[in-house]
Amino acid sequence: MSATIAAGVITPPSIEYSQLCPMLLVFGLAVAGVLVEAFVPRQARRGIHLVLTLGGLAAAFVLTIVVASSKSLFRDHAAGHVAAMGAVAVDRPTLFIQGTILVLAFVSVLLIAESSHDVSSFAAQAAAIPGSAEEREGLLAGITHTEVYPLTMFAVGGMLLFPAANDLLTMFVALEVLSLPLYLLCGLARRRRLLSQEAAMKYFLLGAFSSAFFLFGIALLYGFAGSVRLSAIAAAASSDTGSTTLLLAGLALVGLGLLFKIGAVPFHGWKPDVYQGAPTPVTALMASCTVVSAFGALLRVFYVAFGQLTWDWRPAMWTIAILTMVAGALIAITQTDVKRLLAYSSIAHAGFILTGVIAATAAGLSASLFYLAAYGFTTIGAFAVVTLVRDPAGEAAHLSQWAGLGKRSPLVAGVFAFFLLAFAGIPLTSGFTGKFAVFQAAVAGGAVPLVIVGVLSSAIAAFFYVRVIVLMFFSDPAPDAPSVVTPSVFTSAAVVLGVVATVVLGVVPQPLLGLASHAASQLFVR
Amino acid sequence: MSLYVPILVLAALSAVFAVFSIVMGSLAGPKRWNRAKLSAYECGIQPTPQPLGGGRFPIKYYLTAMLFIVFDIEIIFLYPWAVAFDRLGMFGLVEMVLFIVTVLVAFAYVWRRGGLEWD
Amino acid sequence: MSHLTTLAATTAAGPGAASITQNLVFWVLAVISVTAGVGMVLARRAVHCALMLAIVMLSLAVLYALAGAPFLAFVQVIVYTGAVLMLFLFVLMLVGVSSADSIVETIKGQRLAAGVVGTGMLILLALGIGHGAIGGARPLTSRNGSGNVSGIADLIFTKYVFPFEVTSALLITAALGAMVLAHRERTTPKPTQRQLSRQRIAGSHPTPLPGPGTYAQHNSVDMPAMLPDGTPSELSVSPVITRRGLSSQEAGGPPPGQVEAPGKQEARP
Repeated sequence: MSATIAAGVITPPSIEYSQLCPMLLVFGLAVAGVLVEAFVPRQARRGIHLVLTLGGLAAAFVLTIVVASSKSLFRDHAAGHVAAMGAVAVDRPTLFIQGTILVLAFVSVLLIAESSHDVSSFAAQAAAIPGSAEEREGLLAGITHTEVYPLTMFAVGGMLLFPAANDLLTMFVALEVLSLPLYLLCGLARRRRLLSQEAAMKYFLLGAFSSAFFLFGIALLYGFAGSVRLSAIAAAASSDTGSTTLLLAGLALVGLGLLFKIGAVPFHGWKPDVYQGAPTPVTALMASCTVVSAFGALLRVFYVAFGQLTWDWRPAMWTIAILTMVAGALIAITQTDVKRLLAYSSIAHAGFILTGVIAATAAGLSASLFYLAAYGFTTIGAFAVVTLVRDPAGEAAHLSQWAGLGKRSPLVAGVFAFFLLAFAGIPLTSGFTGKFAVFQAAVAGGAVPLVIVGVLSSAIAAFFYVRVIVLMFFSDPAPDAPSVVTPSVFTSAAVVLGVVATVVLGVVPQPLLGLASHAASQLFVR
Repeated sequence: MSLYVPILVLAALSAVFAVFSIVMGSLAGPKRWNRAKLSAYECGIQPTPQPLGGGRFPIKYYLTAMLFIVFDIEIIFLYPWAVAFDRLGMFGLVEMVLFIVTVLVAFAYVWRRGGLEWD
Repeated sequence: MSHLTTLAATTAAGPGAASITQNLVFWVLAVISVTAGVGMVLARRAVHCALMLAIVMLSLAVLYALAGAPFLAFVQVIVYTGAVLMLFLFVLMLVGVSSADSIVETIKGQRLAAGVVGTGMLILLALGIGHGAIGGARPLTSRNGSGNVSGIADLIFTKYVFPFEVTSALLITAALGAMVLAHRERTTPKPTQRQLSRQRIAGSHPTPLPGPGTYAQHNSVDMPAMLPDGTPSELSVSPVITRRGLSSQEAGGPPPGQVEAPGKQEARP
């Protein structure tokens, strides 16, 4: 280390606060949430947290719309702007994804805030050993961990930054910021705590491994291109200097890290266990927002950094997409737990969206964006219904307990059946429009075999969705069957929003389709 | 390399000292082995075996170590800032104060919730 | 600046030519760290595993110093070896140093498949990166123009200021998570000293409790004291500690299961 101080003052960086304000607001409110945890007495915490979290997410959504409609950002037909000294990209697809994440996170927080069934879905004392006297004391005292609110805000902040990151270093930091709170949240279930802790452990270990691979890929790409910026990597790739092996190895490892987050098939092992063990509101958050954010990052990396290398990554992505769609659909047939079933269906849907990614065109991008928005609402609604079917031991997640639900609670079972039909892609639901858009883009991009496989696996998936519907409506309930609890305004709002979005996007999808294609028209900023 | 020479010298000296002590002890000492001398000696007290059922280690040690890591990383970020302090000007101060304040929020949370109390 | 000029002189031999000391140190450390890494995976005792990890971390620190990143070398020692490894050791103590995982395979053939795939991945990466023609490993003096730490400060506070600030969010999450998972809050208020002494006076034993037994060959806190009639006293050992037996009824006799003290013991009545 040199003792001489170099001459000259470092010029301060320029941070475009106005373009970054949604993200900054979410992070700021997360920090405020930690302060609330520190200083506010226990009874008042939940109320203040709800105001900060729900209000903050709504305000951030409004700010995102303001940024997206700002004339200065897109003047002279610019695709967008690279802000914060090249760390964050602000362009239309990113703003669409961020808006989607904020709305889906708002609905997920409505589920997290539910407190009428069982005090809350979260543990009374996460540090108490399951089955110990301290745990009993905590449950009897009716307390719960309200740290879930700031943790959720941090996770949402990371999810906002992950697709917006313009260099791989920021992307890695965002990946960790979004993942760490989720690892914690997965372990905080109130009932069946051992299963929840096991889910958190598995998610943490596998997530840490995949982050390590991601980082290794970043190091190789840096070695190849001399910079971590996505545009610099693209420039180095097209100018063909440096070793191709480093580039391809880096591409593979970075892709591995991203595919892990969406749950694509060789890297899907964590999804069923984690979705099953985590508290259901957290599963809803993960199934919707994490998938949207991870797809946003995947799209950005593969369209910007590796956009010229489609010949190199398309074959591997084809294989992964086919495996994901087929394996997700096939393995779901054997599942007996409703949350695991929905996890495998989420894996299959990730495969469908991958066919849109593979198209590598603006049409593929817009179809993926629409599918992500539509799928997010449906999946949160489905998990909201899962929280409502309860027996004295907590949520009744085993499929045999769902038999005859249609006879006892036709409305709830009808809503769940509607969500399942939307997953299956029946016309007049958002699932159909999404699948149609994605498959159309894939055919236009020249991936007809993928579409054929997609349609086949949709048919297989429809089989097990319909099987659940038949189970609910056409079989008799067992004598000790679980009942459906009356939801409070929070869960009702979540379910209603899910139903409305699924219906609207199925019957009149044009506004959102138009918005998505406008967002995707100029692709990503470089 | 002049930066690392003191470290290498220190490492070499400690290695030499350790090896010298053991070797000289074995060379210079008398060798009268019997079974009693080979057993573990604790002033005549039998060495305490592990408590029955495994000892229970307080979990407060984990919390302390974890919090130490968090604040150690904050300190690590302070080093480059301190070295380049003259050149960074007002903006560097603002950035670093923002960073420190954010980690201070974590500290306030831990303090208020009793994470720093030993019992 | 002297060390930089020395390094510059060694690299003046030409791009890709590292000095003899750099080569020697690299190769020695490479062998040591890979051996320690393999030893870490294969070690039977958990604490040996942690020690091997310490060797790997320290060799990495020296390699970083060799590559012209002294700041990173010091951070590696201070944070990784000094904080993270200590955390590993604490967690090992918490879990139990002698606890072993069940090595029964729940999925048949998993170990073999893992071995095959892992070796395949290793070969693929080694061939790929080795073939990737990485140039001579020499320190990047061009980037260390005004000193390594100043260069890092330049980058952190201008180009990468946004990820730097977002890292503070990560630190908060870590502290929050540690508290949530490891800190149990009291559901009832902590009894004050006044309340505790009231309970003690009103209870059955107002006097201080007897201490643990101190005998010729045993004096740990889990040895019970003896009452005047020879029976062990229940009050002398804390209820949290499982009491060690005093079955020989005599001070100096070994408790059951304990190794006989060498040297002849007289037969006791």
